[in-house]
Amino acid sequence: MQKLYISGNEAIAYGLIESGIKFISGYPGTPSSEIIPSAQKIVKERGIKAFIDWAVNEKVAYESAYAASLCGIKAAVTMKQVGLNVAMDPFMNSAYVGTDSAMVLISVDDPGPHSSQTEQDSRFFAMGAKIPVFDPSTIQEAYEFAKKAVELSEKYSIPVMLRSSTRVSHGRADVKIVGSMPVDSIKVQFKTLKDWEKKLWRYAATPRQRLMLHNKLNKIISEIESLNELKFFFHGPLLLISSGAVFSYLYELIEEYGLHEKVTLAKADMPYPLKNFDFPKFQRIITIEESTPVIELQLCTEGRRNGIVPKEGELTIEVCEDILEKIGLIKREKRGSSPPLKRPSLCPGCGHRIALYAVKKVFGKKAIYNGDIGCYTLALNFHVTDTVLCMGASVSFAFGMKKAFSLAEKQQDFVAIIGDSTFFHSGIPPLIDSVHYRVPFLTIILDNKSVAMTGNQKTLSDNKSSFGETTAPIYIEDVVKGIGVKFVETVDPYNFEDSIKTLKEAKKYLKEKAEPAVIIFRHLCINTKEGLELNPKYSVKISKELCKGCKVCVLEFECPAIEFKDEEKKAKINDTLCIGCGCCIHICPTKAIVLVE
Amino acid sequence: MKIVILGKGGQGVIFFSRIIAQAAINRGLSVYSTEIKGMAKKGGTVEIQMKIGQGMCGLVKKGSADLVILLSDDLIDYAKTFGNNVFTFKKEEIQAALERVSMRFVNIFLLGVFVKRAKFFEMEDFIKILDEENRESFLKGYEYV
Repeated sequence: MQKLYISGNEAIAYGLIESGIKFISGYPGTPSSEIIPSAQKIVKERGIKAFIDWAVNEKVAYESAYAASLCGIKAAVTMKQVGLNVAMDPFMNSAYVGTDSAMVLISVDDPGPHSSQTEQDSRFFAMGAKIPVFDPSTIQEAYEFAKKAVELSEKYSIPVMLRSSTRVSHGRADVKIVGSMPVDSIKVQFKTLKDWEKKLWRYAATPRQRLMLHNKLNKIISEIESLNELKFFFHGPLLLISSGAVFSYLYELIEEYGLHEKVTLAKADMPYPLKNFDFPKFQRIITIEESTPVIELQLCTEGRRNGIVPKEGELTIEVCEDILEKIGLIKREKRGSSPPLKRPSLCPGCGHRIALYAVKKVFGKKAIYNGDIGCYTLALNFHVTDTVLCMGASVSFAFGMKKAFSLAEKQQDFVAIIGDSTFFHSGIPPLIDSVHYRVPFLTIILDNKSVAMTGNQKTLSDNKSSFGETTAPIYIEDVVKGIGVKFVETVDPYNFEDSIKTLKEAKKYLKEKAEPAVIIFRHLCINTKEGLELNPKYSVKISKELCKGCKVCVLEFECPAIEFKDEEKKAKINDTLCIGCGCCIHICPTKAIVLVE
Repeated sequence: MKIVILGKGGQGVIFFSRIIAQAAINRGLSVYSTEIKGMAKKGGTVEIQMKIGQGMCGLVKKGSADLVILLSDDLIDYAKTFGNNVFTFKKEEIQAALERVSMRFVNIFLLGVFVKRAKFFEMEDFIKILDEENRESFLKGYEYV
């Protein structure tokens, strides 16, 4: 037994590896991204043989981990909650087909949302798929429930979900861990010559057999449900039911306000499938949970549906306090509001900035820029992103909108903007359709050879796996040409003149050939060690005489290392933030930004 | 004790907070913390909320912090929403840090300043956990005060 000060995601990794998980796949996504690197570190340090690495997207991640489970290897898959949408097909199906060894899905929710497109509740999807779901309230529980999830999956031969959330995954605590790791040899088995027909029906089930599998799943869920009791704390006449991080807030508030005699607090470790309870002794029963009424719907209590719990937003400790006040349990003074915080920007020296500045310069303000999910979403700040929906939608949006405009015979330029990892994840299929239907728009692929937004995970262009094994790098140019795109150019955006020239050629091509075009802007992420070391280094200053205070550098280029001094009405380089990339030299209309010799 | 630590991406706020947490854990106290750092690397705010020896989660309610440690002056209004006891570094302390240790260790120098001035923790608690390079910078900060 040892005590470690670790994050929820690290705690989950410990729980999984201690339970004998040997195959983990996933796709990066805040707040889930640290589970895979933590698990990699644990097995590397202990010399445990395992496959733990990133997949091209969540669907592939889910299917490959699930396949390992069917071969008798304990497996897990990690993703953020919106990633589960991508993996929904295999997720739903795997509940029917069941597992042969443990299969645990870790889906991390982001109520708020802090860094996601939706506030969706993975527990609700678990309920929809009839997959049991654990919901840890603390970091210690994240570790323990990861182990329980593996156990339950082994016992009943169905996939089990471990739902975490931003507060648990990105929280830290001193966690007690057992620390002993199984080093047993890996055994696999799938197709057997004897009795294969008897097993085959499950793995390749016909619709009639699916019905039988559904019936089998229902029986398993009923059994798990009959054993799934709530835990009770305190002993008042009002019952509050909760799960996940919110439980810990309510527990603290009850102690802080001394509500021990007024409230009973119930906790669901596993919010689905929940045993139905008879609650005659309570005056009122209210469920306070994030973000969908999962417990509330199963137990028919008050809560979100009758407006006691807000229908959107994170249930922070302050919001929980508001709820307790609304119920009439406490009275407190009004809180002051928080001042707005500075919005994030692309890093100084980011290749995306100068690339997208060139795009804007050639295609102009009238063009419609279909953006995507990644750092470059921040191009919103300097007006080179008009739409952001979900992974890969930049290309499908440019395709759909261009088609829509052409139906109305209206001329309009469209530019899809997508990063390298997002392109591989789900940008390829819409580009195939665009080539097939000959839809003329430009796709910009920003290739920084890193999944930068989620913490610089490796990409498919790497020639090494996370374990140092040789991998085959996938070349974006080959993929794009293979699909049938004829205009494919690659430029380092730091060569500004080249960028402008290539963009103008693409514009001409779109007009004349009326087919899709692709430009790959390749520059290493300067947020990586290699990227920063290889980046050019200049000393740059802004001439006070030449600066006319037009603010192009601040508003249209938006480099955080350039500040505008209101009193002087001049721009100035912030030397602490500036990395000396020299990109801004190209953008000043009065040539006031100059190299220091 | 409820602490909030505020700063900007790149200031070593997270390392700063982890050393404080480890010092508390070594004293046998429980530590819960939460880190908000979504786009911190993009120059955004880094916010650490921490409970030492109490509670079940790391979240600190607005107005309830026993101490707010501020590493970036422009966040002062935000800092005050957590509590009135805001610890800030003096201009000359930051200047001394920049002059006396390399950029990487500025946060550790300031940690030394904090430990000496705030008197919330003992110097020995930190000496035990820091490696040699960090310890040296920590002591420079501690002795500067």
